[in-house]
Parts: sequence; C-alpha cells; structure tokens
Amino acid sequence: MRAGGGSVGSRSAAAAAQDPALRARFERDVLPLLPHLYSAALRLTRNPTDAEDLVQETYLRAFRGFGGFQEGTNLRAWMYRILTNTFINSYRKKQREPVTVQDDEIEDWYLFDRLGASGVEASAEAEVLDRLPDEEVQRALEALPEGFRMAVLLADIEGFSYKEIAEILDIPIGTVMSRLHRGRKALQKALWETMRERGLVAG
Amino acid sequence: MQDECRKVLEQVELYLDGELDAAERRQVHHHLERCGPCTDHSEFQRRLKDLLRAKCGCDDVPPQLLQRIRSTYATPEP
Repeated sequence: MRAGGGSVGSRSAAAAAQDPALRARFERDVLPLLPHLYSAALRLTRNPTDAEDLVQETYLRAFRGFGGFQEGTNLRAWMYRILTNTFINSYRKKQREPVTVQDDEIEDWYLFDRLGASGVEASAEAEVLDRLPDEEVQRALEALPEGFRMAVLLADIEGFSYKEIAEILDIPIGTVMSRLHRGRKALQKALWETMRERGLVAG
Repeated sequence: MQDECRKVLEQVELYLDGELDAAERRQVHHHLERCGPCTDHSEFQRRLKDLLRAKCGCDDVPPQLLQRIRSTYATPEP
C-alpha cells in the first residue's frame, strides 16, 4: 500500500487536477469518507481546529497521490494510512502525550468484573454502558496513549481487520494485537472511573 | 474456571474481531452456546466494541469543511 505524499505514480497533482475523470472519481469515492475521517481526526488531535486541518491536509495529500492509487484496492485503508501518517508527522509534535498508562496491573475483564462486583447484573450492563455520555466515552478513548488509541479506533470504530491495521500503521500484526488488548484494558479502567465519578455504579 | 473456559476467554477478543480461522471460530461458538458465564463475558466485550462505534464515530462535520477541502485541490498548482 502506498500512502500519499510527494512522489506518487506516473501522474502529478497538476495532472490529476486537470484530469476530469480522475477528479470525478476522487469526488465520488473519497469525499464520502469525510465524516469517518473527521471523527478519527478528532480522536487523534483532540480538538476541532487541528482535526479540520488534519483532514484537509489528508485530502490534499490523497488528491496528489490519487493518480497512483490502484482502483479496486483498499481505498479506505489507503486514506487512513495517509491520515495517521499525516498526524504522526505533522500534528503529534505539537501535542503533549498523555502520561503512559501503567497497564500491567490492569487485569483482563477489568470492567466486567467490577460491574459484577458492584451488583450490576449481566442483563443491565448494556443499560449502564449506554448511560455513559458520548463525550465521556470519547474522552476515555482520547486519553489512551497514541499507539493504543489508533489501534482501538481502527478496529472498533472503523472495523478494519488486524492485517489492514498492520498495513495502515506499518507495524507487525502481533503489535496490533498487543496494542488492541492493552488499549481496551486501559479503556475499561477509564470507563469504570467515569462511571464511578458520575454515580452510574455503586462503589 | 475450567480449562476450556479459560481458553475460550483468551480467544474472545479475536473471535469478536473476526480474526479466528473457521475451525477455531466454530469451537468458540460451540462453547459459547453451552456456557452461560463465557457468553456473559463475550457479550460484554461485544457491547464495549459497540459502545465505541456508537459514541465515538459520528461527530458532526463542520459545515464549511467539505468546501475547504474541495478548494485546496480545485486549483491546479502553478
């Protein structure tokens, strides 16, 4: 998979802009991905201004590289690769990373076990989770270290396979699995703390 | 906890992510059909996935953003 950037295939950005068919295909296939890419950008940058800039930069790079993009291959994965690369190269520097989570001590089934211990029946779990405000779930995700956050976002929100995530982030599949597992555990801990703060559970 | 349950719970993430091969998937599925506690665990993990998708993936796109994006590539560079 080739991500956007300067050197792209046989056609330059100018050629792409002047090729009505290519441009029409870009508008038809790539622009509709905007809502998903914008949400992902918000989770990565954690603020609307940077998210807008990141998405705009992503689209510009994608447009420049679109002449070299093989039709019929994985367009969504290609776009997310450009998005995450652009984020890593351009926006991450500006941001302070959250303190690294000490997740060794977060046991598997962290939230499940705590909800059970606080008297929430399995049948009522869905309701408790559902009462978490969107912003709180977003905040919990955004608090994850970047590597975990990208893996969880790509798997659980965007539905990419491990293989696709490995290609998007350019990491081995084993690393994808480990980041997902650890990221999900850290997320459960954050959600549990939110539930307690908001009085959604006893204890 | 029985060994079989332990093994299934270790595989649940892969199962829900659709990353098991057909034989492994059948085994986990078969176990879940018969084991209430493992089903509770599995359902919970699935709900967490659903929660993220439902609450983190549909922010309103700023109305002028699409226009901004189109204007960046509409003009060929000199």
